[in-house]
Amino acid sequence: MADVAKLAEERKKRYLAAMNLEKPDRVPIRLNFSGEFISKVAGYTFQETYYDWNKNIDATRRMLAKIDGLEMVMGGANLWWATLHDAVGARYLKFAGRDLDENTMFQYVEDAYMLPEDYDDFIENPTEWVATKFLPRIHAELDEPGTYRATVGLIKGAYGLANQLAAGGQGMASYQQEFGVVPSVTGVSKAPFDTLADTLRGLSGIMMDLYRCPDKLKKAMEVLVPHNIFYGMATAQGDTEYPLFMPLHRGAYPFMKMDQWVEFYWPTLKAVIEGLWAAGKRTLFYAENIWTPYLEKIAELPDKSIVFHVDQTDMDKAYKVLGGRFCLSGNVPNSLLAFGKPEEVKDYVKGLLDKYARDGGFVIDAGAVILDDAKEENIVALIEAVHQYGVY
Amino acid sequence: MAKDELALAIANLERDKVLSLVKERLQAGVKPMEIINSLQEGMVEVGNRFEKGEFFLSELIFCGEIMKEAMVELEPKLAAGDREYRGTVVIGTVKGDIHDLGKNIVVMLLKGAGYNVVDLGVDVAPEKFVEAARETKTSLVAMSMLLTSVMDKMKECVQAVKESGLNVKVLIGGPIIDDKVMEFSGADYGSAVASDAAKIAGEVYGAA
Repeated sequence: MADVAKLAEERKKRYLAAMNLEKPDRVPIRLNFSGEFISKVAGYTFQETYYDWNKNIDATRRMLAKIDGLEMVMGGANLWWATLHDAVGARYLKFAGRDLDENTMFQYVEDAYMLPEDYDDFIENPTEWVATKFLPRIHAELDEPGTYRATVGLIKGAYGLANQLAAGGQGMASYQQEFGVVPSVTGVSKAPFDTLADTLRGLSGIMMDLYRCPDKLKKAMEVLVPHNIFYGMATAQGDTEYPLFMPLHRGAYPFMKMDQWVEFYWPTLKAVIEGLWAAGKRTLFYAENIWTPYLEKIAELPDKSIVFHVDQTDMDKAYKVLGGRFCLSGNVPNSLLAFGKPEEVKDYVKGLLDKYARDGGFVIDAGAVILDDAKEENIVALIEAVHQYGVY
Repeated sequence: MAKDELALAIANLERDKVLSLVKERLQAGVKPMEIINSLQEGMVEVGNRFEKGEFFLSELIFCGEIMKEAMVELEPKLAAGDREYRGTVVIGTVKGDIHDLGKNIVVMLLKGAGYNVVDLGVDVAPEKFVEAARETKTSLVAMSMLLTSVMDKMKECVQAVKESGLNVKVLIGGPIIDDKVMEFSGADYGSAVASDAAKIAGEVYGAA
């Protein structure tokens, strides 16, 4: 037990040092596994881990027992507890065993759940709009607000979510105690543009809003800034040691041209990151896909306020523009983890470490969240390569 | 570069001008198909600008909306058999994947470039691709995917079409298509860039 506690302390120290641009004993390994990869390694079907909370928690435990050298986990377990979403009749999600084959990944049905004419009510009082308009639209059980069924639906949803969060917290604590792993992130939030684009207006909707109602879009994003800061701190339960997870989507290249990006995407995202930083919270700027054209703008952020995560962004350029002021992480390609050979993975990792990790301030990770197509032997190869080439 | 005023207007995303020009020309007795050809010329220019990095997805989507609005005017005035296509493309998102944003952008660009597009929707089973390819006598089947975890099913879809004995090329599209994925899939063409679809269709159908 003492050894495990020591292990956790070392891993934490290593990770925090890298994020503070120092040189730890060696490059830290942060691998963000999806619940689907974890299920596969653990020998459960996706349906089992989506629906059975005990199997969900147990799956991560089995993975940690099976693969040596994992230093961090993202959280308690699989992000998705399908039972909760079934209880409220979620229309926007499809799950294995309900709508999909038992080993097909969950999917999000994107649509314009918020209409252009909803902007005024949203801006006036977003919480009321969400509770009275948005939730009923996306949940069959909440269809008719104020009815007995809808009231019970709200209670079921709130109770289910509270259960899930508590169980996830316990899961995380038990992994720490048993395996000495530390959290790669605490808390989650989004860019205000993404809150609207991913969840509310959908891609086509938001892109039309850029042209048809730009002022309302901007106002709605401004309304979201304090909300998204608060949401981040609340979901982190106030923790400021580990970074906040911020998956970034529609600000990637080539969704918007530069002047649109500067006008619409950046100001409120910057405000959220600066607001979190003022509260002592660093952001894991999880830049999915390509962000190369925007690096100079991102460099405006306060030193160390983010960890810039590279997926398909040009790593050379990211290193030149952001290196030395922000910790970088990434970017073993997910296609390499899925289709490559262990030797190829090792070569890629060595290349990364040689070029970008020499001065510290670097965390190794896959480009994006690791799905079930990744081969276990390639994950093992990645870890071995860091142990071999990543010692300072 | 487009020379026609209407083609230029759509390429420059001038919505109001596009709609008024369409109405003007219809009133002046210009054949609907001729007007559509001008719009398509402009759409091809939009695709080119996207490819060169001058245009972004926001502009592609906005352009698609303008085209849709123009077609509301034009479609009822088209007589059966009026439309001339450069070829037919069967398209769908592969089994296990329900994402359609990327596919819809490709559909818009292919239509814009003058192809008859048969859209099978999302979560399309291998036999559906084969069936549609057989019925439409197409030379090109396009498969879309977002999730890397549906790779095995995508491969099944590609193989089903390849083994059907039909003389059909297969194109796969999605953000994670790279050399490794191409090798694994056995597809003839692949790209992570939407505007490549029209170029590849042009190659298949021998268009200029």
